[in-house]
Amino acid sequence: MRVNFSYLDRQFAEVDAYLRDIKELVRTGDFTLGAPLREFERRFAEVCGLPHAIGVASGTDALILSLKILGVGPGDEVLTTPNTFIATVGAILMTGARPVFVDNEEGFVIDPGKIEAAITPRTKAIVPVHYTGNVADMPAIMEIARRHNLLVVEDACQAIGASIAGQPVGSWGETACFSLHPLKNMNVWGDGGLIVTRSAELAEKLRLYRNHGLINRDEAVMFGHNSRLDTLQAVIGNRLIGQVEWITLRRIANARRYDAAFEDLAEFISIPKRRPGVRHVFHLYMIRVKRRDELLAYLRKSGIEAKVHYPIPVHLQKAAAPLGYKEGDFPVCEEDSRTLITLPAHQHLHEDELNYTIEQVRSFYLKN
Amino acid sequence: MRVRVKQIPYVDLAAQYVSLKVEVLEAVARVLEGGQFILGEEVARFERCFAELCGVRFAVAVNSGTDALILALRALGIGQGDEVITVPNSFVASTSCIVMAGARPVFVDVGEDSNMDPKQLERAITSKTKAILPVHLTGRPADLHPILDVAKAYGLHVVEDCAQAVLAEYRGRRVGSFGTIGCFSLHPLKTLSACGDGGVLTTNEEALYERLKLLRNLGLRTRDDCVVWSSNSRLDTLQAAVLLVKMKYLEAWTRRRRTNAAFYQRGLAGIPSLQVPRDRPFEKAVYHTFVVQAERRDELKNYLAENGIGTAIHYPVPVHLQKAAEGLGYGPGSFPVAEQQAKRILSLPIYPELSRDDLSYIVEVIRKFYRASSHESGKPCV
Repeated sequence: MRVNFSYLDRQFAEVDAYLRDIKELVRTGDFTLGAPLREFERRFAEVCGLPHAIGVASGTDALILSLKILGVGPGDEVLTTPNTFIATVGAILMTGARPVFVDNEEGFVIDPGKIEAAITPRTKAIVPVHYTGNVADMPAIMEIARRHNLLVVEDACQAIGASIAGQPVGSWGETACFSLHPLKNMNVWGDGGLIVTRSAELAEKLRLYRNHGLINRDEAVMFGHNSRLDTLQAVIGNRLIGQVEWITLRRIANARRYDAAFEDLAEFISIPKRRPGVRHVFHLYMIRVKRRDELLAYLRKSGIEAKVHYPIPVHLQKAAAPLGYKEGDFPVCEEDSRTLITLPAHQHLHEDELNYTIEQVRSFYLKN
Repeated sequence: MRVRVKQIPYVDLAAQYVSLKVEVLEAVARVLEGGQFILGEEVARFERCFAELCGVRFAVAVNSGTDALILALRALGIGQGDEVITVPNSFVASTSCIVMAGARPVFVDVGEDSNMDPKQLERAITSKTKAILPVHLTGRPADLHPILDVAKAYGLHVVEDCAQAVLAEYRGRRVGSFGTIGCFSLHPLKTLSACGDGGVLTTNEEALYERLKLLRNLGLRTRDDCVVWSSNSRLDTLQAAVLLVKMKYLEAWTRRRRTNAAFYQRGLAGIPSLQVPRDRPFEKAVYHTFVVQAERRDELKNYLAENGIGTAIHYPVPVHLQKAAEGLGYGPGSFPVAEQQAKRILSLPIYPELSRDDLSYIVEVIRKFYRASSHESGKPCV
């Protein structure tokens, strides 16, 4: 049996409706900041439970534009975790600021207990990453941010629909950044991203900033980027946005099945503690395991597309050499990079695929 | 009885798709079969075809023309503390790319041709200058040889802003092949356009090509290996597939634009109040826009609108007079030619789908405007 990590081929099973929508858009030629984009932004904001959403070219751009519009730039330091996709850190560097890392806790999100030690007079912002679809401890982080007068931009690229005690991601920070990359819970058919915010003023500035700073066709009130979510991609988004709740519930159900199935293998598999009240949306179902590389090879051989997110922590990437970190600086993250594994948990996973994956993991430990 | 006025919009995006709808949708459907939405095979194929089209060794497709310019500057190591020289009469992105890269834009005025005046370049060069960014505005090539000479003398890079100028030729060679890097836009209004934002860079230098491929993809050499920090600026595979369809027609569309331009050039000849652009012997303009310089421009624009003819102004406020540029230290009078032209320029419809009737009608309305006004003012029509 093959168990794919990507669900896209199953999304294409109902492709005719999508193509009809694309055809309609092509007929109108409304390709740049078009009506379907406005509709998508409205619906995305609604799903996030926030008043404003601004479509941009990618999740990475969502972070860059957010940080820059908040005034983060050269000379500033921004705190984040080294166990994230490199885009979080690349975005900080693209503003001209310097990323400063804080190790993660066992739920793969920033450890609030270690944040204050990393704060310097140059610290301007914290970018907590809701990594894997888990939610960083936002109440604790906001408390620290208030004490030290820091901005908070949530990297929610993997966490649409996640919340703590019903309070959605994106509602704590100045902005939250989402990705619509084709592997995300809520995807489009290319690169795309959104920024959500509570602030009407920030929303207004971001709408300008993503579109050359133009208040009308002829007048630029600030220099800006060109980072617009394609209307063509918003058309796809409008088809899928209504499925977010279903997608989220499917992923949570799959994760619960895995959690229960591996509970008795505590000797080999460490399942992160599921914090009460946190709605983890499982963009990645990630666990820590013994003999990770062997398990990975075993699963791959069995046709299961397990992955590692990621084998090299950001602070040990070649690009990070000038930042001056070394092995041993972030022990939790470094240990994770040797032990973590990601199993397919997507919304289109079939029952037999889930059972097969569980079976293969179990047999690897119990029969080897 | 009310006479129905003929309607000719300034642009008509839907017109192109009447003929291409089927092919475009087939291309989209093919991408779905591959399922590779990010840097799929179509992107690589588009890059190969585009490089060939421009007569360069390499092309790298990105998310927009603006991003192409930003990435070009970053690939050349230009940033904080550096200066880049460009013109103030372009779309704001020719300037904002410099600001977004962290550098400072320095303007030089334009010449009669509305492009960078090479004679003014040397005065603008300081010890901080790293590059010259000439714009091939309206699809007409800037006077590249003298610009390249100055660049060479001062050890500066030339980044060509070809956003409006794919296929334009300067002394027999296509733009994008002269500078260190050429930057093109694939925006829906461009002559080669995606169904959304897109851009592409050209270069003959392999090392720059490799670097640009890293820079547009978060600095990733492989899925797990990040060798340089960067942003995410990839042309969508879907858009590459659309562009591959359109590329087949680009030369024909460009011929139509040039034919339309020739029609205007003949039809509007001899109106003293109207200056019409003409190819100089060493160039082949592609007329992304057909920009005339008109006396009493705003009145003419209104008159054309009353007669159902859409026009545009590219651009009414020069960049150095934008609010965004306040911090740069320029003001009214800094660039008299650009400022003077901004009051006179008017872009006429030029798209390939215009019929001969449409063009004749536009010419006739313009001639009527100036005939009527020369009677009114009592001035003879010279």
